[in-house]
Amino acid sequence: MRNVLVTHADEPIGRRVVKTLFHDPDVGRLLAIGEGPPPRAFDRFLAGAEPRLAYVRADLARHRPVSVLFHSPGFREAEIDTVVHVPRHGAAADAHAPIVAGVAERTAEARLLLQHCLEANEVRSLVALGSAFVYRLPPGNANRLDEQSELDLDPDVLPETRSWIDCDMIFHGELHNDRMRVVLLRVPTVVAEGGFVYLNPLLAGPPGVRLRRLGFDPICALVSDKDVARAVQAALHSPHPGIYNVAGCEAVPLSLLGRWTGRPSLPVPRALLAAADRAAQLFGHDGARANASHLRFGFTLDTRRAERELGFRATNRIGLARAGDGSLRLETASL
Amino acid sequence: MKELDLATADVWEDAPGGEGGPLLGRDPFADVVEADPFVARLEQLALAPPARAPRPARLHAVAPARTSLPAPVPAREVRRVPTPLRRRRAATPSLAEIDLPEVQGLVDRLLGEEDRRRIAAIAHLVDGDTPFDRFGLSPEVFRQAFPIFHALYRWYFRVASSGHEHLPAEGPALLVANHGGLLPFDGAMAIVDVLLHSDPPRLARTIVDRWAGGLPWVNVFYARVGQVIGTRENFSDLLDDGQLVLVFPEGMDGVRKPITQRYRVQGFHLGFVEQALRARAPIVPVAILGSDDQAPILADVKPLAKLLGLPFLPVTPTFPWLGPLGLLPYPVRYRIVYGEPLCYHERFGPEGAEDARLVRYLANQVRRAVQVLIDRNRS
Repeated sequence: MRNVLVTHADEPIGRRVVKTLFHDPDVGRLLAIGEGPPPRAFDRFLAGAEPRLAYVRADLARHRPVSVLFHSPGFREAEIDTVVHVPRHGAAADAHAPIVAGVAERTAEARLLLQHCLEANEVRSLVALGSAFVYRLPPGNANRLDEQSELDLDPDVLPETRSWIDCDMIFHGELHNDRMRVVLLRVPTVVAEGGFVYLNPLLAGPPGVRLRRLGFDPICALVSDKDVARAVQAALHSPHPGIYNVAGCEAVPLSLLGRWTGRPSLPVPRALLAAADRAAQLFGHDGARANASHLRFGFTLDTRRAERELGFRATNRIGLARAGDGSLRLETASL
Repeated sequence: MKELDLATADVWEDAPGGEGGPLLGRDPFADVVEADPFVARLEQLALAPPARAPRPARLHAVAPARTSLPAPVPAREVRRVPTPLRRRRAATPSLAEIDLPEVQGLVDRLLGEEDRRRIAAIAHLVDGDTPFDRFGLSPEVFRQAFPIFHALYRWYFRVASSGHEHLPAEGPALLVANHGGLLPFDGAMAIVDVLLHSDPPRLARTIVDRWAGGLPWVNVFYARVGQVIGTRENFSDLLDDGQLVLVFPEGMDGVRKPITQRYRVQGFHLGFVEQALRARAPIVPVAILGSDDQAPILADVKPLAKLLGLPFLPVTPTFPWLGPLGLLPYPVRYRIVYGEPLCYHERFGPEGAEDARLVRYLANQVRRAVQVLIDRNRS
């Protein structure tokens, strides 16, 4: 029986992870951490005299709240032995403001959480969710990448992607830790019910038109949020540490993905994209980075290692559905 | 004499039929190699008849026919639609099992019933509920592009082909062909020919150079019609998926060879042999005649090509004199011949891929088989 702490449980993927783990008979107590008030979906989990789930509000990007959390009586009483870190991620399709406060916070959270997990003797496992956009992409509309593929250390990389790479490397450094098992799951674009899309740096932020390079339309690998939660569950119970790619079998081009999620992309020539990038930087925004490989090249993930060692295989399908207003959108469906 | 590049380990021996052939030169270690008992044993094994015929892979599941973008369904119904289990290997049903798709616009009117059935089979290669496979293949784009290439196949290049009985009906397999011509119409004609003459209809997934992956529009079109960039991971994934893979192991050397070397197969890269052994896939040698005549290269302006960042800059009777139009192929007659499958995986198994000498030797054997096919059919 494992007692699990889940970070960012108030965000969509974190909520899904908490729901999945709550129904797992091998999981005992659940300590959900979030920045906002507890989601309404947790109401029935929190009901009762001695609920298995406890919800705590904390800002994980700052040292003091994290330190207080890990030394609190609640943390000790819950006897947490496993930490599931779901990093901050992109906004929902119809959110008025992006959920992401800033990419620097994501890196700070990863560092602080890992440090406190290492200091807490009772924590034996850390499962962290990472992004598959950390890979360096070879030229091509879609290339297969496995866990051994190089990371993208190009200075031209998008700031959003840079923060994922930083988080990835922070956890990577502790993969061979003898005392604590560290598992890093790299996921591509996550599709949730209702056509919401997360963790794609090119579609992060509020709805609106994005720019992409003319003549390129990279393929985006997809995975359902339920499968992400199942992968976390599988990693929780597996004895293996390491890095695993997690993905479904569906993929769509960036142009269609953007159109179906309220973020249509406008193809523009490289020179115009570079000019727009410079202009955006002048006004203090992150530009589109004309040379960023993710705007040109796509990828699919080799998930055989996760199948072999974690016993995980995607079982949710992602397809097109017509919404109530008649528009087409992505939807997930269970087998 | 061409300098032998031991790092890329192209070819050891001269092309058959020519003593000290002009293009490949002599391997300085040839005598050492011939005296090696290891190589002698390989020679015996290679000459011996195959122990048994290749056994086709068993199919686990076949997805329902789909010819175009899936019809949108209400969001509430998505959960109720029974979804097939994820397939283990890509497979297409036989021609008789494919339902004739409805005629959709002018494109379908240009094609016969059988051709429409064959194109409909492509949709079975897509594993998932979105209309794209993981490498970007879109059956809908393929359906729209097919009439153009079919017209080129029938009326422009007037392709004649033989040896279709050697095309594996299912399971992973490699088609290894010679490469020529400025633009890769040889690959396009081979894809059309395989699709038109195989039952179940099979799509040959061509492995293309990485350079093409960075070209605007070209990279997208290639992916949508089923071509894949030549990385090890892509290659092994296609074969693991049970697909038919078309490779041109000569690479760019085949495309840029001058007119004096036409129909002389250049040195082979070796990766395809490793992949075939690991995936237990038979290798079918293919001779494509006509591609070397479609745009005879008189010279290659290497300094200018380097300056422009191009792999080569050819001078042909029409290029650059006619501008981009000069790149178009001449209406030469194509002939495609499929040779008997080489089942090296049955003798050496996946562990053979770890032996660099064996891989190099087998690549040379395949190269020789392609050259023999060309020489036999040129006359």
